[in-house]
Amino acid sequence: MAYFHQTICISPQNSFPETDLSELRESKNNLLLVTEPAYTGIPPGIKRRMGKSVRMAVGAALPLIENSHPPDGIVMATANGGMEDCIKFLNQILEYNEGLLTPASFVQSTSNAAAAQIALVTKNHQYNITHVHRGLAFENALVDLIMLLEENPEAGYLMGCTDEISAYNYNIDRLDGWFRIEPVSNTDLFQSKSKGTIAGEGSFMAWMNNQEKGAKAKLDAVKTTHTTSPEHVLKTLNLFLSQNLSYGELPDLLMSGENGDERMSPYYDIVESHFADAIPVTRFKHLCGEYCTASSFACWLSIQILENGILPNGIMKNVAPVKPIRRILIYNNFRGEQHSFILISAIKPGDSSI
Amino acid sequence: MGLISAIGDSVNENRYSLRNERSGIGHIRFYQTAYAGKLPTAEVKHSTDELNKKIFGENGNPAITRTSLFALHAAKEAILDSGLTKEEISSADTALVGATTVGGMCLTDELYHDALAKDHGTPFLSSYDYASVTMAVQEYFGIQGEVSTINTACSSSANAILYGARLIRHGFAKRVIVGGAESLAKFTINGFNALNILSSKPCAPFDRNRSGLNLGEGAAFLVLEKEEDIRGKNKYAFLSGFGNKNDAYHPSSNSPEGDGPYLSMKEALKSAGLNAGDINYINAHGTGTENNDETESRAMLRLFEKVPPFSSTKSFTGHTLGAAGAMEAVYSILNLVHQEVYPSLSFQDPIPETGLIPVRFFAQEKILHVMSNSFGFGGNCSTLIFSKT
Repeated sequence: MAYFHQTICISPQNSFPETDLSELRESKNNLLLVTEPAYTGIPPGIKRRMGKSVRMAVGAALPLIENSHPPDGIVMATANGGMEDCIKFLNQILEYNEGLLTPASFVQSTSNAAAAQIALVTKNHQYNITHVHRGLAFENALVDLIMLLEENPEAGYLMGCTDEISAYNYNIDRLDGWFRIEPVSNTDLFQSKSKGTIAGEGSFMAWMNNQEKGAKAKLDAVKTTHTTSPEHVLKTLNLFLSQNLSYGELPDLLMSGENGDERMSPYYDIVESHFADAIPVTRFKHLCGEYCTASSFACWLSIQILENGILPNGIMKNVAPVKPIRRILIYNNFRGEQHSFILISAIKPGDSSI
Repeated sequence: MGLISAIGDSVNENRYSLRNERSGIGHIRFYQTAYAGKLPTAEVKHSTDELNKKIFGENGNPAITRTSLFALHAAKEAILDSGLTKEEISSADTALVGATTVGGMCLTDELYHDALAKDHGTPFLSSYDYASVTMAVQEYFGIQGEVSTINTACSSSANAILYGARLIRHGFAKRVIVGGAESLAKFTINGFNALNILSSKPCAPFDRNRSGLNLGEGAAFLVLEKEEDIRGKNKYAFLSGFGNKNDAYHPSSNSPEGDGPYLSMKEALKSAGLNAGDINYINAHGTGTENNDETESRAMLRLFEKVPPFSSTKSFTGHTLGAAGAMEAVYSILNLVHQEVYPSLSFQDPIPETGLIPVRFFAQEKILHVMSNSFGFGGNCSTLIFSKT
């Protein structure tokens, strides 16, 4: 059993240090950038050398470790690692025609830098891994956690992800047609369907163990697949539901990764119509933007909803829920190729207040 | 098993080179860099075009990178060798775990162009990331199960192997295709050069006068299945244990006593249920850098009462970074299958402080358990143990 305990999410919205989703922060120039906190826990000398993606990860991780025993492992997800540092180093290579270079950006840009820095700052010698499988990196980290907790039921782990927008990867993805050509605000993202979406970034870190006591939510199951066929997505959904819910049982809420890109609609539509209005649907990409590990924001948002029983304004797609939300199904797809289902449920009433 | 490296296009060709002390380290022929002729590397002896045509036919695939082509080449050999049926390959319980540290960034100039161009991107826009390499394999073979890509620097593909084994153990897959791929890149050549750890001579692992590593390229893939599912297929070795630990000392060098290496080797022994004395041979990480070889030696001296025979096949293949763990896993398995050990080349005198001498000549040996080490930047240390079936 895998349970989420403390979680921290650094996002384009008001998610850390205080969480207040009552007002939507708007995107600018098709970007939803995080407002970085002060990161008081990171030693200043180290912080100066960190790129944004590493800084966001370490900044979200350290407060979780401060209040607990050392984690028995650190599991990270990031599609690109320090893209900004990577291109900075590339700039140097070409500018100085492969001359004498300083290695700082090179070392910072390796995608295991975030997990490595957390281990280094906290002197943690345990299991340490970085999943980088583009739109499924975060889901793979969750699968890793499920396995780790089966292997070591007494253990506690730090799990999370980080991805940054850099001017460079934004440009590459823009040229590849993944972002809107016309300016669009996140407030209109779903009204104005065309090709492309808006870019986002963020980090999410969670303390996980197999103890229900004191947990915020339970990770029931994760399933991923690679396909371009909506029918195959539906088949995967059916299999996932039959393996994880009793016959006739439904989740109380579908959290859909819709991002306003009309090319992705066939996938989201087929999943949504499977439930035929039987359950309410929410969306989240207008809050965090699109990025490889964006499903982590949905995961964080689901944990908030399950723990507090409150749905933030403006996330409902259709009818408001009539019954309490005890179980959420997240469906996300990345560029119509990588699909994931994540099922998260509330802790039994009473248990969360112990 | 499947393998392509500077010393051959197949597992058999690699074994031939290892047995006959034919190193693949030499001058750069294909890769365009200012260091061609100055820094020796272990380059795969085929142009990217040649590899592309071999896999995708005359017209080639316009968006495929050299790294992905290595991965496809090695995965094809491994899948053919494994005897997996078409149905098994595309079944929902077949997983794929890849690893790389440079991914599609081998195309340094194209990446730079696309990062800044206003319009007219190259065909490689979705081929730069790490996942692109694994996704090329996923697409080519139509893999439907769990797919992951791991990047823990130089221990990436050792972690891909242990992660794949865990997917089987926990029922997330019935069989997994695991491995790693890497190609030479301005990014890594200049990065390692800026850290002053590239040697201007062929590397000399564990030698007192060693002067750094040589970068290499290639890929290796392996197919893992449970013992009971393997009937009638080629069966080479048993992955009996593994360890993943962090050195937590410095972003780009090991702690003086080799804490991370020591802990990962110890963990691997524990998970295999073996004692240090059971290990007959170690395929060391042995990059040829001052820091690695001394700290790895210290870690071996801490763990083993008597350090078993060991050597570094990086003296043949160069350091292939994200592919190294998988390539050396294949070599370790060859040690077991053929009961033979491969030498460390260019060794002359031991490091005075540790006094360890690697295997220097090809030899037939009785081997039951082989340990393979992979240590990376960020303190990421992993150890695999393979045992005779």
